[in-house]
Amino acid sequence: MGMIGCEEFLDQLVPWMDGERHPGARAHLRDCKTCRGVVEDLEAICETAHSFATAEADPPVRIWTAVRAQLEQEGLIRSPRRGWIDSITQGLEGIPRVLSRPALAAAYLAVLIAVAFALGRPTDTQVNDNSWIRSTRSSTLPLSAQLDTAEEAMVSSLGGLSTLASASLHENLAIVDNYIDLCEKGVREDPQNEVARDYLYEAYRQKADLLAQMNERGDDGR
Amino acid sequence: MSTHHIHTGRFGSRAAGLLVPGLLLLAVGPASADRLERHFKVDARPVITVHNPNGTVIVRAWTKQEVAVIANRTNGHVEVYAEQTGNRVDVLTHQLSDSVAPDDMHADYEISVPEDAELQIHNDSGTVNVANVLGDMSVETVGAAVDLEDAAGYLTVKTVGGSFQCMRCAGRLEVSSISGTFRFIDVRSYNVRAQTSTGNILFDGEFLPNGMYHLKNYSGVIEVRFSPGDSFDLSATSLKGKVNNEAKLTPPSHPQHLVQRFGNSLFGTFNAGRAKVELTSFNGTINLVKRD
Repeated sequence: MGMIGCEEFLDQLVPWMDGERHPGARAHLRDCKTCRGVVEDLEAICETAHSFATAEADPPVRIWTAVRAQLEQEGLIRSPRRGWIDSITQGLEGIPRVLSRPALAAAYLAVLIAVAFALGRPTDTQVNDNSWIRSTRSSTLPLSAQLDTAEEAMVSSLGGLSTLASASLHENLAIVDNYIDLCEKGVREDPQNEVARDYLYEAYRQKADLLAQMNERGDDGR
Repeated sequence: MSTHHIHTGRFGSRAAGLLVPGLLLLAVGPASADRLERHFKVDARPVITVHNPNGTVIVRAWTKQEVAVIANRTNGHVEVYAEQTGNRVDVLTHQLSDSVAPDDMHADYEISVPEDAELQIHNDSGTVNVANVLGDMSVETVGAAVDLEDAAGYLTVKTVGGSFQCMRCAGRLEVSSISGTFRFIDVRSYNVRAQTSTGNILFDGEFLPNGMYHLKNYSGVIEVRFSPGDSFDLSATSLKGKVNNEAKLTPPSHPQHLVQRFGNSLFGTFNAGRAKVELTSFNGTINLVKRD
């Protein structure tokens, strides 16, 4: 595989961070200061995330604000979508008690990388559908796994809620899961459709928000 | 303000009241149902918080500078707290023991407040009904329906599945839900932001100059009614659903967002385009309907 360009490298950023380092990507990184800076920043974030496992610091908001600022500075995301990113991170802020900090941080990281992909590209660039699917899946799969874990913990902790409230939460959780499935289908059918992707991310945000509410009420009920 | 004024309460036959400074508590035997009434003197713009797992919460504004709390319990498994701290009154339904079944955590409240009061209400199941309160308001429920009338201020309502209706509301409105249905009737709000996944949204109110109206759902119907004298810029998109329009729109003067490339979209200006109306759905139907 020969040397690749910035766009192709960014396509491979998630695998790269997972340790899959192809020769072409390595060659590009050697020669491209911008991409090298992005990778260095992400590696620093990962180190910070791993340190959560041993330190009881409580820095998610600060960390992700810094990440966002960095991504904006790098031109990988555009500020008009800041509210969207905020809503994802705020939604996820509510479920730290059921997710380990490194796991949550990893989910954040995946989402933010996806945001960089999804929002950073020039809209008039010819892009490949498979690339969109891959980048969207890269961002949502870890998040989906984390939320599934949280869901299992939540469902068993709702004993303190009334029958009506508990039924409503379960019913709406099923609605959100269905919403996610339908949005994923929408993205698969039309990967470049920005509206479909927005709805998908919104669906995940809703699920995180709902799980946070369930967590809060489960605690209140005890 | 740290003092509170207590009128003689009316209790059920087996009721027992426990009074400590700044705290009122009603706790009785498990078989009884009873009524508690308490009054608190407050200053301007008091804050009233209500935490109730299940039941009806009715809040009404009156002209007195005091807060009156009337609590009705249908069983004796819960305690009802009404506590004043400074200019804040906290009302809380609390279980008497860990063995209380969640469905027994039930109380109904009628609360009278000054019209400039700020409200924070959590009521999981049942209903929340607020009228004539002009202060800021935050309401969170799971399945409880929320009805506001003649409210103003900054109103935020969040439900999981509960419906929301607002009649003659003003100020700023932010409403979100997963499956709740929303109805905005005769509202005069300069900023409305409503989002529900599977619920319907009806907006039948005024579009104020410079007002912003964002209505979004995943499925269901978004219906917006307009009058010939209204003035707004419209952006309506349903990715997989329909957009039906009865308004004669002029083409937008500025290029639209690239969302226009996707789904069924409608962009245009009605009269002078003074308000901004943004309607978005994934596979729901959007109806822009001329008011009769």
